Amino acid sequence: MTARDETLASLGPTARAARGPRRSGLARQDRRLGYTLVAPVVIVLLAITAYPLFYNLWNSFHHINYLDIANFGTFAGVSNYAKLFTSDQFVPALVRTIGFTAVSVLVETTIGLGIALALNRPFRGRGIVRAAVFIPWAVPTVVSAELWKTMFDPQSGFVNYILAHLHLPLATTTWLDSTWTAWAAILVADAWRNTPFMAIVLLAGLQVIPQDIYEAAKIDGASAWQTFRRLTLPLLMPALMVALIFRTLSSFLIFDVVYIMTGGGPGTSTQVLSVLNYQAFLDDLDFGYGGAIAVALVIMALIIATLYVRALRPQQET
Amino acid sequence: MSASVAVARPGQVTGSGKRRIRPGRLAGRTGFFTLLAIFVVASLFPFYWIVITSLKTTAEYNQGTTSLLPPSHITFSNYIDDFTQQDFIRPLLNSVGVSLATTLLTVVVAALAGYALSRTSIRGKSGILGFILLAAFFPALAIVGPMFIAYKHTGLLNTLPGLIICYLILTLPLATWLLTNYFSQIPKELEEAAIVDGSTRVQALRKVIVPVAMPAIFTVAILSFILAWNDFTFAVSFITTANNYTAPLAIYNLGQSQFQVFYNLIDAAVVIISLPIALLVIFAQKRIISGLTAGSFR
Amino acid sequence: MNVWPRGTKIRSVAVIAAGGLLVAGVAACGSSPSSSASSQVAASAKQTIVFASAGLGTEGTATKAAIASFEKLHPNIKVSLLSLSSNSTVAQEQEEHYFLAGSSTPDVLYTDVTWPSTFARSGWIANLNSLKPDTSAFFSGQMATGDYSGGVYAIPWFINAEGIYYNTSLIKTPPTTEAQLVSDAQHALATDKSLKEGLAFEGAEYEGAVTAWQSFGANISVSALSNINNSANQSALTFMYDAIHTYKISPAAVTGWEEANVQAAWLAGQTPFALNWPYIFQLSESTTNGKPTYPAVYGKTAWIPFPSSTPQTSLGGDDLAINAKSTHKAAAWEFIQYLTSSSAQDARAISAGDPPSLTAAYNATLYKAAPYYKDETAVYKAVTSRPVTPVYPQISSSVFQPMISSVLSGQETPSAALSSNAPTVSQLLATAK
Repeated sequence: MTARDETLASLGPTARAARGPRRSGLARQDRRLGYTLVAPVVIVLLAITAYPLFYNLWNSFHHINYLDIANFGTFAGVSNYAKLFTSDQFVPALVRTIGFTAVSVLVETTIGLGIALALNRPFRGRGIVRAAVFIPWAVPTVVSAELWKTMFDPQSGFVNYILAHLHLPLATTTWLDSTWTAWAAILVADAWRNTPFMAIVLLAGLQVIPQDIYEAAKIDGASAWQTFRRLTLPLLMPALMVALIFRTLSSFLIFDVVYIMTGGGPGTSTQVLSVLNYQAFLDDLDFGYGGAIAVALVIMALIIATLYVRALRPQQET
Repeated sequence: MSASVAVARPGQVTGSGKRRIRPGRLAGRTGFFTLLAIFVVASLFPFYWIVITSLKTTAEYNQGTTSLLPPSHITFSNYIDDFTQQDFIRPLLNSVGVSLATTLLTVVVAALAGYALSRTSIRGKSGILGFILLAAFFPALAIVGPMFIAYKHTGLLNTLPGLIICYLILTLPLATWLLTNYFSQIPKELEEAAIVDGSTRVQALRKVIVPVAMPAIFTVAILSFILAWNDFTFAVSFITTANNYTAPLAIYNLGQSQFQVFYNLIDAAVVIISLPIALLVIFAQKRIISGLTAGSFR
Repeated sequence: MNVWPRGTKIRSVAVIAAGGLLVAGVAACGSSPSSSASSQVAASAKQTIVFASAGLGTEGTATKAAIASFEKLHPNIKVSLLSLSSNSTVAQEQEEHYFLAGSSTPDVLYTDVTWPSTFARSGWIANLNSLKPDTSAFFSGQMATGDYSGGVYAIPWFINAEGIYYNTSLIKTPPTTEAQLVSDAQHALATDKSLKEGLAFEGAEYEGAVTAWQSFGANISVSALSNINNSANQSALTFMYDAIHTYKISPAAVTGWEEANVQAAWLAGQTPFALNWPYIFQLSESTTNGKPTYPAVYGKTAWIPFPSSTPQTSLGGDDLAINAKSTHKAAAWEFIQYLTSSSAQDARAISAGDPPSLTAAYNATLYKAAPYYKDETAVYKAVTSRPVTPVYPQISSSVFQPMISSVLSGQETPSAALSSNAPTVSQLLATAK
């Protein structure tokens, strides 16, 4: 039972009586209904993903390299997977990707939570502010990546222009020219586009929490921080978990922003896993290796998701 | 905890008196509004940039950035060009159609699944949710190749329904996970009361759960719409004739020839296609406010 | 809510996996490179062929006009345009989708000059030897881009070359040495405060930086690839680095610049020198409503190979190829021959600014409508192609592009970068055998 159920515990005798006798028959009916209702989503997703999943799995265990016709189609064992560790590209890209993911998720979750909490209160003009804050999501990723690339250009962008006018440091940097400033630029572009996502999911999560809980807490004399920590956060946890999982995995698989803004540069210092995967498919025409990278990405995504669920599970324990 | 639940609407000002505003409160208020102002400016400034760029002529765009102010010679020629020369209406309509269809399908399928996963006793929930997550995070890059082959053999290539099917992979996982979680927050007593009053489970879902979860459903609908609306990767791989282009494809192509990129043209198109989204968000976010009271406790 | 009840996880995942296994067999289809024998449709029969090319913008309009003229000449052949992206990387992806699906369409496709040997090796485009193409009619540097293993696999469609534009009102006599160009640029920057750059070039991490490197003198012919640490490569890379950091004639911003940025700087008159492709000439000389569109450069544009004792200009442009699985090869060949005929080449040159690949197309008709083409021939004569080998795209994206980028941003010195990357290039080249 969640804290919510405890708070609004017993309603009345009728409700409880509904959970009466004939439990096993009801349970079977209940299960059958459940399977019927969940079937559409499973069937649709299975239909779409089954072929790509096994296409890449199959490729990853064979030599499917269009530039290596002699061995084409032969069984490769785990050599494509071994190449992940022997090539000097995969592991550094993995480290970079993990680092970027950690930072971007932290930044975007914090800001997104702040926005959601702020928008959850009533104030005049809230509707306009809500719409304004969500507009970045209306711009397609490809376009926003090109846009931010231009913004950070020292000649035709506004970032350096504004920094210079405000007499702030870094006003003369060529952002995409050195590793850390390039990462900063990518982070800004990514955060601008994706923080609205966190805000919108968390706001809906906040909206589902009824106000009477806060009333009760106020009557009991709880401070704002205590209310947040003990009431809001636990009740927000399911929405927060979903938001975190999806945002983390999206960050982990980030492609457009990096490819368009830096192409993986300077050098290879912003080369993330998806860019590597792209090069394997398009430039190297090695679908065996590319398939192995894709499968590795899926496995890592599952690991990340499991870690999240494990970490956040205690709050949901019955 | 009281047995009679007077549920206040979220956002309703509670009764405690506001006769005297403490200094700490005032500082908090100012800080609050400052923070909000920063959010809004940060969100909108790049968009403002897009707008003023879209009002520049190509020659002026090539001058580079010399000020933050709108150009002295505002021109709407980019917008006119986009509609007349580049035929932007067709891609816009295609995008609207595809996104609406995807959203509708997503909301229905995800709501059914969310209900099943949160309020029935089926076995294998974790497996199903895990599989759904796996579908969400298979790299798009690794999907387009095999999907292209599959579509070619089934005749779905270069069709809008083919796109809609593919977009479900973008929208369904998130929608299902979100609705599963939001639905799980709703007390069982709500539908049990309805069942006792004679509804079937599915009727209870429709009449009780959905209205109560309307903020969540609208959120999921907005997210799905925007996900479908913004996709470029699948559209560029599966759509091969200009008639079937969706808006992001058209934007990307209209301002480019091999080396030249006409950002003023592109930005005008971005403004045009962002308007429906903006309107959507403004319209829908009123619905998000509705809260738990709609049709619940009597 | 407990999302993960114990015990049921493994069983349900297994069930779902088993369901997916049913589809596993399908995974094998579509990826084999072997082509099946198919019946060819005669050229005289009524048929429709599919042509894959960029379909938007001025080039798209020119393509559609050419298709219309061709259909008038060959009433039995209809050409359907498969609209690809105008971004060549995206277009390559799109074409490869069709190849991987084993599709017999498109019948005719455009390729960038660097793709034919890769496509040929993968068995995706047809050997044209049996069709007896007239190889001497085109610029030899570009004709060679269609070579693979003794066969001709692509026909040049239009040529591009990357040369140095200079503004004749700022630079009275063209520089004949690299040092002179540098001093001219520095002098111009010192005397004219309205100039923002001395030399604008493409330094972003993409293919354009490799062509820039080659235009500045790099020797990356196939024979030179076995040791890229040669003096020509070193001095070209060093020049690019010095332009930014030592001579200070190029801003650090060029490390993010592509053609569009260089174009913007040039057309606004902000720079006396700019490295770019021929389309800039057409733009500079263009007029809107009778007035020059870009007054800063109208009538003041000149174009030369980068000054050096052995000038070379990087070859770009597009070729035409036939899908190996096409069943309309005869009609496809008719279409290609039309597109590479003098009249079609001139029409496209005048309307879309694509310089003809056919040497005979540089004639009075062309010069009358677009006189600036006369000034372009010097650059085309010095044209040098990037290495024609199936592994070039791989070499470019995994070695050359990151290498140039890291040198320009000061992460590595030119000689260190070249020597550390030389073994990788030889390795990749060895796999092409």
